[in-house]
Amino acid sequence: MDFIRTTSMEHTLSVLEAYGSAATLLAGGTDVFAQLPRGELTPGVLVHIMPVPGLSSVVLEGGAISIGALASHRRIAVDGALGGFGSLRQAAAQIGGWQTQAVGTIGGNVCNASPAADLLPPLLIHDARVALVSASRGERSLPVSDFVKGRHATAREADELVTSFLLEPPGTHTADIYLKVGRRSAMEVAILGLALRLTLDDRGRVAQARVATCAASPCPMRITAVEEILQGEELSADLIAEAGQSLRSSLSPIDDVRGSAAYRLAVAPRLLARAIEQTKVQIMLANSG
Amino acid sequence: MTNIGSDLPRADGWDKVAGKSQYTVDYSESGMLHGCVLRSPVVCGRIVRVDVEAARSMPGVRAVVTATNVGNGRAGMLVRDQTLFADREIRHHGEAIAAVAADTLAQARAARDAIELEAESLPALTTMAQALASDAPLVHPDWESYALNPMAAELRRQGNVAGELIADPDGVDEAFERAHLVVEDEFCVDRQYQAYLEPMSAVARFTDGRCIVRTGSQFPYNIREELAAYLDVRLSDVRVIGQTVGGGFGAKLGCGTEGYAAVLSRAVGGRSVRVVKTRDEDIVTAPVRENAELRIRTALDAEGNMTAREFSCDMDCGAYGLETPTFPSILFHFAAGIYRIGPVRVHARAVYTNTPPTGAFRGVNGPAVYFAVERHMDNIARRLNEDPMAFRARHMLRDGDTLLNGQALADAHIAREACEAVQKSLPAVGARQSGDRLRGVGSATGFWVTNPLPGSVTITVGEDGRLHVLTGANDNGSGAVAMGLTQIVAEAMGVSTGEVIVGLPDTDLSGYDSGSQGSRTTHIVGKAALIAIDDLKTRIFDVARQMLPPGANELELVGGMVRAVGIGDAQVPLAAVFQMANFSNVSLSGSGTYATTPPAFTPGCAVGLTMPSLLTPTYHAHRAEVEVDSVTGNVRLLRYVVAQEVGRAINPDGIMGQIQGGIAQGIGFTLTENLRLVDGRYLERSLEAYRLPLAQDLPRVEVVLLEHPDSEGPFGAKGVAEPPLVFAPAAIANAVSDAVGKPFYKLPITPEDVLFALDT
Amino acid sequence: MQQLTFEVNGRREVVAVDVGETLLDCLRERLHLTGAKDGCREGECGACTVLVDGQPVDACLYPALACEGVSVRTVEGIGTPSEPSDLQKAIVEHAGLQCGFCTPGIVVVLTALLEAVPNPGRANIQTALAGNLCRCTGYAQIEDAVLSLASGAKDGL
Repeated sequence: MDFIRTTSMEHTLSVLEAYGSAATLLAGGTDVFAQLPRGELTPGVLVHIMPVPGLSSVVLEGGAISIGALASHRRIAVDGALGGFGSLRQAAAQIGGWQTQAVGTIGGNVCNASPAADLLPPLLIHDARVALVSASRGERSLPVSDFVKGRHATAREADELVTSFLLEPPGTHTADIYLKVGRRSAMEVAILGLALRLTLDDRGRVAQARVATCAASPCPMRITAVEEILQGEELSADLIAEAGQSLRSSLSPIDDVRGSAAYRLAVAPRLLARAIEQTKVQIMLANSG
Repeated sequence: MTNIGSDLPRADGWDKVAGKSQYTVDYSESGMLHGCVLRSPVVCGRIVRVDVEAARSMPGVRAVVTATNVGNGRAGMLVRDQTLFADREIRHHGEAIAAVAADTLAQARAARDAIELEAESLPALTTMAQALASDAPLVHPDWESYALNPMAAELRRQGNVAGELIADPDGVDEAFERAHLVVEDEFCVDRQYQAYLEPMSAVARFTDGRCIVRTGSQFPYNIREELAAYLDVRLSDVRVIGQTVGGGFGAKLGCGTEGYAAVLSRAVGGRSVRVVKTRDEDIVTAPVRENAELRIRTALDAEGNMTAREFSCDMDCGAYGLETPTFPSILFHFAAGIYRIGPVRVHARAVYTNTPPTGAFRGVNGPAVYFAVERHMDNIARRLNEDPMAFRARHMLRDGDTLLNGQALADAHIAREACEAVQKSLPAVGARQSGDRLRGVGSATGFWVTNPLPGSVTITVGEDGRLHVLTGANDNGSGAVAMGLTQIVAEAMGVSTGEVIVGLPDTDLSGYDSGSQGSRTTHIVGKAALIAIDDLKTRIFDVARQMLPPGANELELVGGMVRAVGIGDAQVPLAAVFQMANFSNVSLSGSGTYATTPPAFTPGCAVGLTMPSLLTPTYHAHRAEVEVDSVTGNVRLLRYVVAQEVGRAINPDGIMGQIQGGIAQGIGFTLTENLRLVDGRYLERSLEAYRLPLAQDLPRVEVVLLEHPDSEGPFGAKGVAEPPLVFAPAAIANAVSDAVGKPFYKLPITPEDVLFALDT
Repeated sequence: MQQLTFEVNGRREVVAVDVGETLLDCLRERLHLTGAKDGCREGECGACTVLVDGQPVDACLYPALACEGVSVRTVEGIGTPSEPSDLQKAIVEHAGLQCGFCTPGIVVVLTALLEAVPNPGRANIQTALAGNLCRCTGYAQIEDAVLSLASGAKDGL
């Protein structure tokens, strides 16, 4: 195993082109250095990209927000520019402890594509796009929903570097939330994570709802069946119950050391109801303020 | 008095907070090798072949040892049922098969991985029910041939039952026949991992026929005894030197890595070898708290008085006994709680299974027994439609009432005082709901004991007048030495704590000590120190009298001086007394040994009783207020109140730490922690999967200390460390049952249990 | 092996390290700074916490070679037994430590907290401690110690 420290985008891309799938990108190291001793990774070369400048900023870019792939969880949790993306900030603030948040990056969390990746549900409900670049084919971007292909599988080619995530700002009368289920108050791999973005119209009906979950399917995903049930309706108890039932039948959780499939299915509708209630209150408070 | 009852900083605090304390992993010796252990992937089986030849020839490898080349010495806390390496039989997942020493740890691990183990898997007894079946194979076919340690003399054993207690007093059946109401409950608890932050580790050197082991053990003298047995050498040829202990909670009373380091050092001809467990290895092989199944039935008359009880319990020993075979005796003593019940029939068994061994964990067996007893009390009260605390108060023992062993409890009223104290701090108000959160309150009360086993102390005045305290007692982190013993010595010697230096234990130098277990160190070792000081003061005063003006008869120690009472300011510093003594053929050294004298009990009160009496009882009441999240099933502690009788508080801040930390472990045992066995293997194999409570998960415990000085204890101190953990599970489980409105019978109470209870 | 040049506790260090080597092994084995402890090697216990350019990281999961040119601060760089920092002093005086194995990591993370938030409340402290396990104390007296340094901090917030 070799170690290459890259200090520029060009340098990184040329290394990736040269080593291809033998290269493992190394940012904060929290996933890679956990997986190395377990033999889950056997890279030919570790490419340490943290020194590459310009990849950790959070900037407004033509109306959209661009989050650099090397932005740390802590940065995301506290950056004022992400005020309209509460769910993303909440998710980032719940990844491990400070030690993980200080060095773990959004690019790493997304590219590791764990079924329980906390940042993915918020990125999914905000229709985030992933920007990639390679030496030979240049730049491209695609929706996060297309980028994450399955458990620990993404659409990133071996010679590509993820550079940023692009999010359209949410409109008015909109609120979002990320709720995470774990046994403890922190340091949990999600037993279930649920992100909801809710937009209400003037009469309090659902103008738009987006729901995504993690830890309840092979990879985090949008739950469009639930969104369709909520769309255009008034948020009655019956509707929320119906949405909850739909959510249950959309999930395919497994039993694992953290929780049983039955528990995940039991919690999911309750969590959705809580998310709806809390986003509704947020919208009402914003309007009354 | 200035040193007793004072929140003085602990003697080892400054080094610890600066990262300068030397734990075993921070200690190394010149030419030290690194060892590691090959452990069985098989749950139960027979070794067909262990081929170490490839491993032996790998780079850096200095020795590979297995059962065939280290001898087959057996050791054990009670029953000598354990060998260092599996010989032919593999009895549990993770059992040691071989060990390797190499120049680097990476080389040792590579060689370990190259050892070829061929093992035939056999059907495993992974549950107690399987092990207790009449046609079950024996986990130890040779159980009858095993030697017993003196503590195990009364142990009743039979096949897969490693320890059995039977108490069958007259009148139980009659009381049940006459009963107006019988309340019957079944409980079960799962395994709990001690989860000390410092994984087990040892550095050993075997030279000149003697084995020197450095280890952060809770019980160096037991390590010596076990090592001598494993290595088949004389006891005195093993020297165990203590290191700073990175937490133990019972797990570091016996050998963990010491034996492997020692045999590897012997195999390489005496070079030092360090063996450190990985966290995964530590989890799999720690002597964790036993899983247990408890059944309890109580007969009540028409007035709602308890008239008799039947209590049976099976506890899982795992594949080797360690301390667990004696737990049935502990259960017996607490089977009635602190209540008048009438005759109590007890049948408790510790059962061998093909699972990793269980052993001592702070409060041994107490958390499970009191969980059952105090949950059962709540259930009875509910059946009688009576307030749980009022029901308890109606039955609580009174001063002089006898326990199940016939021993009188002289000061039982302190338990009432404790109950009143928690009631005052946190009145029970009944369950209530706020939105999707449910709140409830629960309590537990009872008594616990202080381990009576002997300890000894030698105190020497140094040339500069400072006091060197030599003892086999190690501070496991509790502060029993760094605060308790240090402050007791300082007080009795009239010096500040900075003048007292307590060394680490060394079995070649210090006197015997029974280890940091059973809340004993402050009480027993503190008392031994006072006895030593009586001896030392006589010597000091005899010498000082020669140095003081005539008529200086009554002397006292004040501020590092020997002062004549009533003769102006005549005094001599301790350093000067040393100089004088040194040239007067007087050794300024005093020694003391102490063990609590056991009280009278009724012989024959039970069969298989390994600990016949209960010593230095303390009294306790706990009350928890919980909030249940009805969306996730998570339980959060809102408030926790403890009223604890401590005899006399030597260092209140230190006691607060014992209570807060003990409650934290109790909260873990009740809500988030367990090692689940699936076909004989643990599911939780990391600190990510095994959930220890975090700062955010814990309330700041509100503490009421009750002081009723013990006539024997140093300045009245009794044991403190275990009871907070003993009573917490019952109080919390009662609170959750109250909040949810459904009874909970199993620990831990998981969010799944809560949610499914809410749904049914 | 590759050469690594970085600053540790204010001193320039040049060491040869293995490619897969963690910062923790580098500090403990090569520089003999044994204050940071190995409790789990999986970023769960925080006993190995050190500051990398002021940010707390689990040294057990941090690549040594990622430290090229950075500044690392360990518990040894925060205070000594005879000259403890205010935080270290407060932790001892509030009995905020028992076995002490987790203590170096806790001192490091709380030092970072006090640099970022001079007057933390109990909730801030608990959040900062999420990545640090302590099995002995139940944390309350550690929190008390920090609160004692935070003038005007409110309990329970």
